[in-house]
Amino acid sequence: MQRTYEEINTKIRSGKAVIVTAEEIIPIVEEKGIKRAAEEIDVVTTGTFGPMCSSGAILNFGHSDPPIRMQKVWLNNVEAYAGLAAVDVYLGATQPSESQEMEYGGAHVIEDLISGKKIKLKAISQGTDCYPRREIESYITKESINQAVLFNPRNGYQNYNVAVNTSDRKIYTYMGILLPHIGNANYSTSSQLSPLLNDPQFRTIGIGTRIFLGGAQGYIAWEGTQFSPQILKDEEGKVIYKGGTLAVIGNLKEMSTDYIRAATFKGYGVTLVVGIGIPIPILNDEIMRNAAVKDEDIWTEIIDYSFPHLIKPSLGRVNYKQLREGNITIRGKNVPTSPLSSYAKAREIAQRLKEEILRGKFLLQEPIRKFTEESKLKPLLEKR
Amino acid sequence: MIKKKVILNFSPENVERPVTYQLIKKYDLWVNILQAKFEPKLGGKLLLELNGSEDQIKEGLSFVRQIGVEVMLLEQEVLWDEKRCIDCGACVSICPTGVLSLDQMTYKLKFDYEKCIVCGNCVEACPLQAIKVTF
Repeated sequence: MQRTYEEINTKIRSGKAVIVTAEEIIPIVEEKGIKRAAEEIDVVTTGTFGPMCSSGAILNFGHSDPPIRMQKVWLNNVEAYAGLAAVDVYLGATQPSESQEMEYGGAHVIEDLISGKKIKLKAISQGTDCYPRREIESYITKESINQAVLFNPRNGYQNYNVAVNTSDRKIYTYMGILLPHIGNANYSTSSQLSPLLNDPQFRTIGIGTRIFLGGAQGYIAWEGTQFSPQILKDEEGKVIYKGGTLAVIGNLKEMSTDYIRAATFKGYGVTLVVGIGIPIPILNDEIMRNAAVKDEDIWTEIIDYSFPHLIKPSLGRVNYKQLREGNITIRGKNVPTSPLSSYAKAREIAQRLKEEILRGKFLLQEPIRKFTEESKLKPLLEKR
Repeated sequence: MIKKKVILNFSPENVERPVTYQLIKKYDLWVNILQAKFEPKLGGKLLLELNGSEDQIKEGLSFVRQIGVEVMLLEQEVLWDEKRCIDCGACVSICPTGVLSLDQMTYKLKFDYEKCIVCGNCVEACPLQAIKVTF
């Protein structure tokens, strides 16, 4: 079976496309097999809703009179990077507030902006001949400013470690609170619903792909930072796909706090919970096979986060069916698990994306360029 | 015999009353103190698990109310903001008594107040700050 983007979009426009979520496709393929499923299904929708630190927003405030070339900018006391043109900033999601520290940060400003709240703006400058003003204090909303664009350099991690702690004290990490003596195990992906696990070799996902981003239509801008896809196989044939990431972009003004949320991991800091959904066009049988992947066939590594170095020891492999049941066995011990990525929300996003496509509101965009294939992760070496 | 969990709120006026003693002695209840927090002159809070017949528990609690101690249910002191909650499940694995779980069909968070001992682990684990404890 071969199908083109144009054929799929024609079917979407005429209301004849058959679309299912990455969960719904599983029993269909089990019953009918890959070939028949590929003939019948045009698109499989995926979804994920998890903490994604490498996120932020590009904002343009418009010019005041007299004008100012903003050199340092704070939004609700959270500093935004102003080393751009006069009234452009990049507000990073993890930047903590200067008055409330971890309780409030860039992610919270983003959530407040989306929900239409007034945000306090403060900016200072040394003043120039063309921009004489040296300071300004005002209030902005998403409606009062020119652009508010969410641009996240690294989102949608293909797969992630399971985090545990073998030490004898509780540790606070970006993978949540880890109890001593492997008291719990935290993981973070929407597994069988996850975009990059349903197209693990990036056959359909690339630069220019139209996606669901925070409730709006966004795009994949580039491969994500630290993009380094790997396929690991062990002796028993368990396969781990990992390392794929996405840089995504979309209009923050059209987003909804149902699908973008600020969060604080105690002892770690502020982050943004981002909702992403990607449609996978079923162009051939191979793409169908990949999109039908299920939790028991998606493996990941259990990593000891109490080890304070870059390369941390592995305690074995586990699949997402085991993780999602709520308990796994590590070194003979029964360990409760926590997902940090909301499966309920991931499901909602995949469902919503499906409905938008069915209503003809969301057409599929063929990537204008594939991701760079060979990409290896480089460490930072300390040189003198 | 039934089990009931309650929180007793003491005011500065009644903080010195030997309430637990009387619940045991006069109302023949088995009293399990799960949490206690008292501050001199300010009052305090007791999380109790009461074991007894329905009538004994009812009478015991009405005595407690009579002397001016407020009786609260756990739901009134462990506040779960369902609108803020995104059902991520970060709280599930750090809960020592299995209060929190994800429904295996919907993957939405379930909160079983009866098992709660108000340890506060979930409060610090919740990235959305959707759980608050006023204990």
